[in-house]
Amino acid sequence: MMPNQVKKRLELWAALAIIGFLTACQQAVSPEAGDPQKQQASTAKLQIYVVNYPLQYFAQRIGGDQVRVEFPVPSGLDPAFFSPSPEIVSAYQGADLILLNGAGYAEWVSRATLPGSKLVNTSQPFQDEYILEDAVTHSHGPEGDHSHGQIAFTTWLDFTLALKQARQVFQALATARPEGETIWRQRFEDLERDLLELDSTLNRAVTDTRPILGSHPVYQYLARRYQINLRSVHFEPGEYPDERSWRELKQLLEQHPAKWMLWEDQPLETTVATLQQLGVQSLVFDPCGNTPQQGDFLDVMRSNVNGLRKVFGQDSSH
Amino acid sequence: MIETFYMAWRYLAFHKLKTFILVTSVGLIVYLPIGLRVLVDQSSRQLTARAQATPLVIGAKGSQLELVLNTLYFRSDYPEIQRYQESIRVSDSRLAIPLYVRFHSQGHPIVGTTLEYFDFRALKVRSGRLPAVIGECVLGARVAAALQAQVGDDVISSPENLFDLAGVYPLKMRISGILEFSDSPDDDAIFVDLKTTWIIEGLGHGHQDLTAPEAASGILAREEDRIVANASVVQYSEITQDNMDSFHFHGDLLDYPITAVIAVPHDQKSAAILQGRYLSSEGGAQIVRPSRVMEELLDTVLTVQNFVMAGAIVVGLATLATVTLVFLLSLRLRRREMETLFKIGGGRLNVAAVMASEMVAVLVLGTVLAGGLTLLTSQLGSLVIRTLVRM
Repeated sequence: MMPNQVKKRLELWAALAIIGFLTACQQAVSPEAGDPQKQQASTAKLQIYVVNYPLQYFAQRIGGDQVRVEFPVPSGLDPAFFSPSPEIVSAYQGADLILLNGAGYAEWVSRATLPGSKLVNTSQPFQDEYILEDAVTHSHGPEGDHSHGQIAFTTWLDFTLALKQARQVFQALATARPEGETIWRQRFEDLERDLLELDSTLNRAVTDTRPILGSHPVYQYLARRYQINLRSVHFEPGEYPDERSWRELKQLLEQHPAKWMLWEDQPLETTVATLQQLGVQSLVFDPCGNTPQQGDFLDVMRSNVNGLRKVFGQDSSH
Repeated sequence: MIETFYMAWRYLAFHKLKTFILVTSVGLIVYLPIGLRVLVDQSSRQLTARAQATPLVIGAKGSQLELVLNTLYFRSDYPEIQRYQESIRVSDSRLAIPLYVRFHSQGHPIVGTTLEYFDFRALKVRSGRLPAVIGECVLGARVAAALQAQVGDDVISSPENLFDLAGVYPLKMRISGILEFSDSPDDDAIFVDLKTTWIIEGLGHGHQDLTAPEAASGILAREEDRIVANASVVQYSEITQDNMDSFHFHGDLLDYPITAVIAVPHDQKSAAILQGRYLSSEGGAQIVRPSRVMEELLDTVLTVQNFVMAGAIVVGLATLATVTLVFLLSLRLRRREMETLFKIGGGRLNVAAVMASEMVAVLVLGTVLAGGLTLLTSQLGSLVIRTLVRM
C-alpha cells in the first residue's frame, strides 16, 4: 500500500506533466501565441505621420481604425511652408510610415533626418507630370546659376493625381501590414469612386475657356487637368494688396479679362469690394492643405466643385 | 607518500628565493605561447566580429582594406569617393546604408549616415536623441567623455587643410544626444546626417535671402528673375532654427559624394544577386565582404604569430633545459643532505621520490601560475588590445 503523501505527490507531478504537455502542444500549433512581441506587433495600430491634410484623409479613410495618423501642423498654418521643431521631427522618426506629398512640398523634409526606409513619396509615380514654375535664380561663386524653386505642389487638386497618391498610400499600408490588405483595398476602392466622381463632375462643369484668375499660384494642376484658362497673381486672403499689385492686376485683366478670382480662403471685404469694382467676383476654392474647420477633404472638394460649377453656369458669356 | 611530499614541500619552502625563481620561470615558459594564442584569438574575434556583422560593403574601386577599415572602423584615409546614386541603386530590395566618413572634429571621425545605421548597429541613445535636422550630431560614448561634452553643447568640424582658405569651412554642430557605450568603434565617432557632411564640404550652404532688401550690398547684378551675388554675401557657419530654412543644395543629390554603402540583403539569394551586379570589371564600384577582407588581414598576422610561437617554444625548451640543469646541479650540491637521509634510514627510492616530488611541485606550481596568467589575459586582454589600438 502506497503511503498517502507519496500518492499525493505522484498525482501532483502527473497533473503538472499533463499541463506542461498541453501547453507545449499549443505552442507547436501557434508558435506566435507564445511570442508576446509578435502578437503586439500584429495588433498594434500602424503609426503614420503625414505632411498635409489630404494625405491624412487618404490614410485615415483607407486605414480606418487599424492606423493612427498624425498630422502635427497647427491649424491655420500652410503645411507646405511649415518648419517643425527638432522635437516634432523626432516624432516623425518614430513613425511606421511617413507619407510625403512630393513635388517639393514641405521643404523642411530636405533638411530633416528621416528614416529613408519609412518614407513614401506619394507623387513618385507621376513625377514626369510635375508642373515647373518660373523661379528667381541667383548665382554666387563658381557654381553658376541655380534656382530655388519651383515645382507646383498642390497635386491633389487634379483628382486623378489625388487618386494616384491615394493608391500609393494603400500600397504602402499593404506592404507594411499585409494582413490588412483585403479590407484596405475595399476602402481604397470606395475612395477611388469618390475621387473619380469629383473628377467627372468637374470635367463636366468646365464647359469653356473663359478666363479665370487665381489669387495665388496654387491651382496649376487644377487648371491643367480641367483645362481652366487660369492665370495667377500673388494676393493673400488676409492682406489688402498694395498699389503695385492692383496695377499688375489691371494690366493682366487687359489680356485676361476674368470675371472670377479663386481664393484659398475668404478674402477681406475691402479686397472683394475693390475686385468687384474691376468687375471680378470672388470665389473660395480651398486647396485644403490643412485640416478644414468643418467637414473633411471630400466635403471641401465637393463645395469647391459646386462653386466652380456656379462660375461656369452663372455667366454664359466671356 | 604524504611524508615524501611533506619533505619536498618543506625543502621548497625553506629555499624561497630559488623556488620562486624556478616556479616563475616554469610559469612563464608555459604561459608565453598560451597567452599569446589567447591574445591573438581575442584580437581576431574583436576585429572580425564587426566585420562579420557587416554583410556587404560597396565602394569605389580601389583598396579593399582601406574601404573596410574606413567603413567599419572609421580609420585610414578616406577611400575613393563614389556617388550617392549607388546607395539608391542598391536600396531597391535590400537595406542600404550610405556612409560618408571623411571629416574630423578634434581627431574624432565625423560619420555622415542615415538613421538606419543606428538600428543596424543596435546603438541606443543614453541621453538626448538622435539628430533630427541638419547641423545636429550625436556623440559616441568615448567622444563625449573625451570632450566632456553634454547634450546642448557644440562641436566644430576641423578644416581639412589649414592652408586652404577657400576650402572646407568649419561647421558648428549642436549635440542632440550621446550614445550608450557599445564597446565598438562607434564609441569614438561623431554621427551626423549625411546632408550635414555635404554642408561641411560646402556642397550645401545657407546664406542671406538675396531677394531681401538687407542683402542689397551683396548683389552685383539683378536682371528680372536672375540675381548675381558678390563674395560678400554672408554664408552661415552654423545651422540654427532661424537660418535653417535658407540652407539648400546645388545640383543633383544623386551626384553627391559618399565613401561607402553598407548593404544588408534580406536573404542569401538577394545577396548573391547583388554581388553578381558588381562582378563586371566595368563600372567604378566594387563590392566586398568585410569578413573575408579581415580574414586575409588576420592570416598575415597569424603568420607572424606562428613565428613568434616557434621562437617562444624554442626559448621555452632552452629554459626547461636550464631548469633541469639547475636541478641536477643542486643534486650534487645536496650530496651531504642525501647522505644524511640514508644514514637516518631513508631508502634510495624514498630519497629519489623526495627529489622528484620537489621537481613535480615546481612544475605544478609553475603550471598553476601560467593558468592564472592565462585567465587574467582572457579577462583583461581585450581591454589592453583596445587601449593599445586606440593609442
